[in-house]
Amino acid sequence: MSSLTFDRLGKSYSGAIVVSDVSMTIKEGEFVSLLGPSGCGKTTILRMVAGLVEPDRGRILIGDEDVTALPPNRRGLGLVFQSYALFPHLTVFENVAFGLRRRKVTGAELDKRVREALALVRLDAFAARYPRQLSGGQQQRVAIARALAPRPRVLLFDEPLSNLDAQLRDEMQIELKRLQRGLGITTLFVTHDQGEALSMSDRVGVMAKGVMQQFATPEDIYHRPATGFVAGFIGKPNRLSGQVVSRNGAGGSVRLGASLILPAAHVDAVEGAMVDVVIRQEAVGLRRGRAESDALAGVVALRSFSGPRVQYVVKLTDDVELVAEAPSSGPDSALAIGSKVLLAIDPLAVFAMTAEAIA
Amino acid sequence: MIRYRHGIMLLAPLALVLAGFFLLPVVMMLPTSFREYVPGLGLAPGVWTLENYTRIITDDYYREVIWRTLGLGLFVTLACLLLGYPLAYLIARGPERWRVPLILLVVFPMLLNLVVRSFGWIALLANRGLVNNLLTELGLIASPLKLMFNLTGLMIGLTHIYLPFMVLMLVAAIRNVPRDVEAAAATLGSSRAHVFAAVTLPLSAPGILAGSILVFVLTISALVTPRMLGGPTFKVMATLIYDEYMQLLDWPSGSALSFALTFMAIGVIWLSSRLTRNWAGMA
Repeated sequence: MSSLTFDRLGKSYSGAIVVSDVSMTIKEGEFVSLLGPSGCGKTTILRMVAGLVEPDRGRILIGDEDVTALPPNRRGLGLVFQSYALFPHLTVFENVAFGLRRRKVTGAELDKRVREALALVRLDAFAARYPRQLSGGQQQRVAIARALAPRPRVLLFDEPLSNLDAQLRDEMQIELKRLQRGLGITTLFVTHDQGEALSMSDRVGVMAKGVMQQFATPEDIYHRPATGFVAGFIGKPNRLSGQVVSRNGAGGSVRLGASLILPAAHVDAVEGAMVDVVIRQEAVGLRRGRAESDALAGVVALRSFSGPRVQYVVKLTDDVELVAEAPSSGPDSALAIGSKVLLAIDPLAVFAMTAEAIA
Repeated sequence: MIRYRHGIMLLAPLALVLAGFFLLPVVMMLPTSFREYVPGLGLAPGVWTLENYTRIITDDYYREVIWRTLGLGLFVTLACLLLGYPLAYLIARGPERWRVPLILLVVFPMLLNLVVRSFGWIALLANRGLVNNLLTELGLIASPLKLMFNLTGLMIGLTHIYLPFMVLMLVAAIRNVPRDVEAAAATLGSSRAHVFAAVTLPLSAPGILAGSILVFVLTISALVTPRMLGGPTFKVMATLIYDEYMQLLDWPSGSALSFALTFMAIGVIWLSSRLTRNWAGMA
């Protein structure tokens, strides 16, 4: 068990910067996710930690040891791949035993530790099978057991759940989190799925274009995004263009369309500037009714049901359209198309940023 | 999905050609191999015999040719594998921009006629050929090395000719080995050499097997190069069969030898697939 530190890590491929001066420390036993769209550099960071990609600049430390120049086989890490990357020519037992054998564990001790690792992922009964005889979820669990068996200092996950179907993914999220808690192992988890990152992690690093945008707790990432990119990437955003009307501390108000004025808790531009306005769908409240004094009024233009939640496209004045997400049961839950509704928008979920900050 | 009936229809043209022009003549040869040949007269009418087959096993000369052919096949296959694997690995895993030029280089000799290539080797390997002359000039040898009309000459010539087949098969196989699986072995503590031995090599086994079978079968049935580099006296089965048919006009003996060669090839293929399966755990 060790901490993991990046010190001004950088990497370019033929002139294009993939990772730009990323520094962060993952504490001992902490579960940290790197979150971002594809091509943001998160996988490159993970591969640099594993020793599969050589950084151009910066250092990687496990505990106090500088491992930047070490080959992958001498870093003492466990890596779980999106593709599982099991050895197809070896049984489940031999797959899990692979790393132990490299550490000269033999005989009864080897047998015991392989059984232990397989028991952790509840695959004790499958030791004699070949990977091709297992389902995708089982293969992924073998891959996790294989990475855990040699008791690595740090566990790395490269989009490990992306190839699983939705239900299995949810199960595996909980199982993984429980495993990691139980073992107290320092973990770096790379994903493009914000649900995964927010629900599993102690802290999340959001990346864009090779730059670390924010490294904070899931709550801070969601409620207090540090940059326009994070605001636009996390949650389910509405993106509209508008103009800053007034400023007041960190917040102020913005105008959408010709006359729609909204208070916003985060305004990151000068008064009068044209901005992109991000409004979280889940922060737009809807209730049946007609316009009163200063309430926002609109008409339901489209309704889309997805089980626990319903999404409504609401048309406001000046042809401004907003998507609102509401629970699918309870009062005001079944609004028909054409219904007149009143909107309540939580200013804390309204972000105004210059356009380039979000792109 | 292709249905069974459609599959048959797609196969039909090739199957008909093979049946008519390959299978049928081969089957027609089968009775011939049990006939008796009377020199000067041809097939003895009404006589059936196993003599042509028993002779292959009992006759010292035939036995020697069979062992020589099998040995040649084995050595050429091994030489192609040892020379070809590093090259195939470089093509499969080296810089992208080298790939096409290297493959072209590998394939290039195949654009040249087989006879011309074999003559090239004669010019190099003969007693007063380039190699021997050079070594004599340098004072390294007093009398010329015997590089032709023996196993050495055939091995050199055939390895050169069949290397491209091996390399192309191996490139495809090595490119099919997932990089992630190799990376997984590395993170689990494998050095580069161990990654190669424990992952890359076994996972490219299907290509090693396919390439080896191809080269082996082509080698033991090769006619032109053994004839040119082996001369009239150093014979392998293909040249022996050719001579039985064309020089001695002993069709029954030639047919029996042909069948023997075919069954040897099938036997070796069967054995090597079994061995590879056990080694690489492939099903």
